[in-house]
Amino acid sequence: MACRQSSAGTLICLSLLLLLLLSTCSGLYEDQIKKFDWRSVHLGALKQVHVDLNHFQPRVLLSTHEQVVASLCPKTGEIIWRQVLEQKPRGDIKLLQVSGFADDSSDTAAAPMGSHLGFDMLTVQGHAPALVRGWNTNIGTIEWEWSIMPLHTERAQDAVWFYSNSVLYHVVPVWRSHIEVTAYFATSGHTTGSTSKIMAAWIKPESCLLSGTFYVCLDGKQLISLDLVAKSTQVIATPLGAEPSSKIQSLPGLNGLLIVDKKLISVNKDQAVCSELTSASYLVGSFNLRKVLAYADLVDGVLKINAVYVDNCTPVPELQQSVAFAEDFGTPSLRSFDCKAKRNGDGKNCLFIFATSAESIVAVQQGRVRWAREESLANVIDTQFIDLPLADTEGTLENEMKGKAVDAHSLNSDIASAFMRRITTQALQMKSLFLHVIGLGPPPTDTQKAGLVRDSFGLHKMLVLLTRSGKIFGVDNIAGKHHWKLYLPNVAGFENAEQMRLIVQRSSKHFPLQPLCAIVAKSAVNSNGVLFRFNPITGRAAESGLLQLDYQIKQLALLPETEEDFVKGILILDGTNRVHVEPKHATPLAHGMYLYTANVKTAELEGYFVKYAGGELSCLPIWNVRLGGHNSEQQIIKVASKNPIEHVHSQGRVLGDRSVLYKYINPNLVAFVTQAPDAAHKSVLNLYLIDVVSGSVIFSMTHRKVRPPLHIVHSENWLAYSYFNDKVRRTEITTIELYEGNAQANNSVWSSLQAPSMPLVERQSYIIPTIVEAMRETITERGITNKHVLIGTASGGIVEMPWHLLDPRRPISSTTQGREEGAIPYIPELPLPTENYINYNQTVARLRNIYTAPSGLESTCLVVATGLDLFVTRVSPSKTFDLLKEDFDYILISIVLVVLTSGSLIVRHLASRKLLKQAWK
Amino acid sequence: MSAKQNSKKSKWALDFNVSKNADMPSPPGYNPTALVNQTEVVRDQRLVIKKSWDLALGPLKQIPMNLFIMYMSGNSISIFPIMMVGMMLIRPIKAMFTTQVTSKMAEGAQGTGQRIIYILGNLANVALALYKCHSMGLLPTHASDWLAFVQPQTRLEYYGGGVSFI
Repeated sequence: MACRQSSAGTLICLSLLLLLLLSTCSGLYEDQIKKFDWRSVHLGALKQVHVDLNHFQPRVLLSTHEQVVASLCPKTGEIIWRQVLEQKPRGDIKLLQVSGFADDSSDTAAAPMGSHLGFDMLTVQGHAPALVRGWNTNIGTIEWEWSIMPLHTERAQDAVWFYSNSVLYHVVPVWRSHIEVTAYFATSGHTTGSTSKIMAAWIKPESCLLSGTFYVCLDGKQLISLDLVAKSTQVIATPLGAEPSSKIQSLPGLNGLLIVDKKLISVNKDQAVCSELTSASYLVGSFNLRKVLAYADLVDGVLKINAVYVDNCTPVPELQQSVAFAEDFGTPSLRSFDCKAKRNGDGKNCLFIFATSAESIVAVQQGRVRWAREESLANVIDTQFIDLPLADTEGTLENEMKGKAVDAHSLNSDIASAFMRRITTQALQMKSLFLHVIGLGPPPTDTQKAGLVRDSFGLHKMLVLLTRSGKIFGVDNIAGKHHWKLYLPNVAGFENAEQMRLIVQRSSKHFPLQPLCAIVAKSAVNSNGVLFRFNPITGRAAESGLLQLDYQIKQLALLPETEEDFVKGILILDGTNRVHVEPKHATPLAHGMYLYTANVKTAELEGYFVKYAGGELSCLPIWNVRLGGHNSEQQIIKVASKNPIEHVHSQGRVLGDRSVLYKYINPNLVAFVTQAPDAAHKSVLNLYLIDVVSGSVIFSMTHRKVRPPLHIVHSENWLAYSYFNDKVRRTEITTIELYEGNAQANNSVWSSLQAPSMPLVERQSYIIPTIVEAMRETITERGITNKHVLIGTASGGIVEMPWHLLDPRRPISSTTQGREEGAIPYIPELPLPTENYINYNQTVARLRNIYTAPSGLESTCLVVATGLDLFVTRVSPSKTFDLLKEDFDYILISIVLVVLTSGSLIVRHLASRKLLKQAWK
Repeated sequence: MSAKQNSKKSKWALDFNVSKNADMPSPPGYNPTALVNQTEVVRDQRLVIKKSWDLALGPLKQIPMNLFIMYMSGNSISIFPIMMVGMMLIRPIKAMFTTQVTSKMAEGAQGTGQRIIYILGNLANVALALYKCHSMGLLPTHASDWLAFVQPQTRLEYYGGGVSFI
């Protein structure tokens, strides 16, 4: 009986907990799937590709730099199947070999059906261990796998593989010494003999490559090569006319052929070469059962494809074509082509696959671009949601309001003139509406035609995506349509793994003025700064577009809006600690700004004050902090500042006794995390909260036996970070909250220079039963809605974690104090209920980052998760309290209203008649 | 005393055995009340004063009752305690507004005092109801009740920066 009672007790406890959790969940109904969200699936930049149009199932097999193996439909470019393999270095795809595409026609790898010896396609990945996998290319499954563990793992890092006649060769170069070649039967993994060591003291890491079976190194003005398969090893020296200006490349498909400065050179005496050709990219394929050499060049926006027969170097007119090639694809390089074998081979059935410098995959057929895949979206590095422009009528209204606001400052405004303006604008609106109705109005602008007009709730926005390749996309956040694309060649990310920045300089709020975005990057040519300004709605360059700066960028800051054109200037600190402002007329606004820089390697922070006096900007160093530790081993691994557009609505927290615990909301607080190896504790992680205006350390904490991956969210008065606990081998999340106390030191202004005393710190750690890949807090317009933390997991899910589960004030002993405060009793494990996954089954492969932005609705926050895939959705942490439900029954409500009103009228009439009758009685 | 007893025997019975020096009984059918008009008015006046004192002291008399109700209803916020507190609060306030009407019925020498007592009693009831509201946590007397109106602090300094790009 006692047992039953206790079990009943636990049941009640559990159900209570469940109820608590249920109140937090925000699951999706089945009919809402794909209503607010969309996902686009990507593969990454192309590494190797094989088109096969003559297979019973035509396909494009490819491997990418993101360690993805996939098969595409040659007609549309859609993914037939995709396998996301292990991350680098373990999953690094070193070779993709498709059966029947070997150099020699004597290839016998295609085994009879049902045998375990054949393969459709094989891949070699990684170096220690090297994984060799055979694939079924029709459905994308692994048929078999074998692996080898090399003796010297560090040597094997540079290993290359090639395939010839059913044998897979593993080539391990030992730099400046020798080459070790081991041959394996491709399908079984058995060695064919012992490892052969070929003495080659001339091999150097930067100038060697494999071309077919030849190992080739560039040595000054000559090529030194070696046939690795030949019975007798013989070093062949091929002289070049001059030292090549670019790197030498191999030409797959022809044994021992190299591309040196756009020309072809053969190191194989059995292989003839068409040496008079000059082209940016070459490719070997077959056409009408003859081997052809195709080459493609981009000339003035037109892609010219030509081909010659390999045996006699005569042109193949059937394959010759010119294609108009969009600028935003970048420079193409021909990667694969195949022609459908027909009796009259007229070249019309040939499909050419190009990889471009903007990481697109472009398929060309019959003189036009058949399809293109934007694979640069697999590496999104920054995003912004931009409000769409107003419709014309609303625009004039907005203009009028603005006029009023401006007039309010001047004294000569009077009610009569304002009223007159109002009347005239409304008359104009009526006129334009009338003209629109009868079809005589002004033609809609391009953006209006594309449906890019602001909606009433501000949910429809332009999502600007900046990718690592320098390609920028303007994507509709509701439909997922790419409205515009831009490609910036020759830009790169900064040092210290800092990416390019996408900055909104002017929002859409200033109506006749167009919004303005800027990209701050480093020039790939001379490592100086580059600034590119563009209109995020149309995707056209604005304000003279690309601006090459003549200095290096060390750090930057965004200034407040100027009064004349509402542009937020960019304050740039250059390599010599001087400051510049772009655009120039915003320079006076830089006065009084604070700047800081963090050196990740030495863990040193520098604080600067920017002064504008006498038309000159100057930058004074005011503080520095060294976080390197006593032996300077600590390195900064993460810097987390708050979202600058964040609003904090609630200034405190109500306690159980109805007093207020005021939040310590320091807008200048930045979290720094340093890590160092430690003799006793393996790895030590330090967290510092530093006020970057005054340079004072507000709080610090140490975690021992803890290591990255570290992900951190910093918002309002709290901080949450996840790390791997090495001692107990699990991922944990620690949360910190800062409070000022029971009274606010200054309730009107915040100044870091007269900051209140040290805050009270609450902290707690939780166990999260998954691997965290990204974390981000939700953000809303006014900050009234609760904050949730979006946690991206390694499996590609995004969990919405309410803050009250992460709350460090969750009481450990279940006291009434905590309960009255609304805090749930502390349970170390964080629950991950499936209904809290905002992307249900739309997993985001290789989830890397989550970005959030407020919408026009206070309850709703827009979310974009990036990784290999792209997932865009919206979340409402406190439910959509400011929105009627979609299934709200307007008809029923209006019917009830009408019936009630008319009923009451009728009844009143009847009642008055009855009274009259009674009075007569 | 005896006369009273006698009169109780029968209204119409005559007792001739009474001594001579005693008062003569009233003749049969004589109604003494018809004569005492003057004293009746005085008694009425006294009655009115008594009644109006009753009225004036009414609110004060309610206090123990209200205290008992308050004790019984507890401090939890649910429909019945709220209704009770509402009634407790609204009734005396209403009564105070209608003091003029009430006191018109009882105008006399002690009118002002009664009025003051009446208002004081009602005020005491209001205070009691307010105390109840307070103990139920319905009064915005704590800092936390005004938290939603606290404006965020304006920041004086702005910063920029991050990890060095060089």
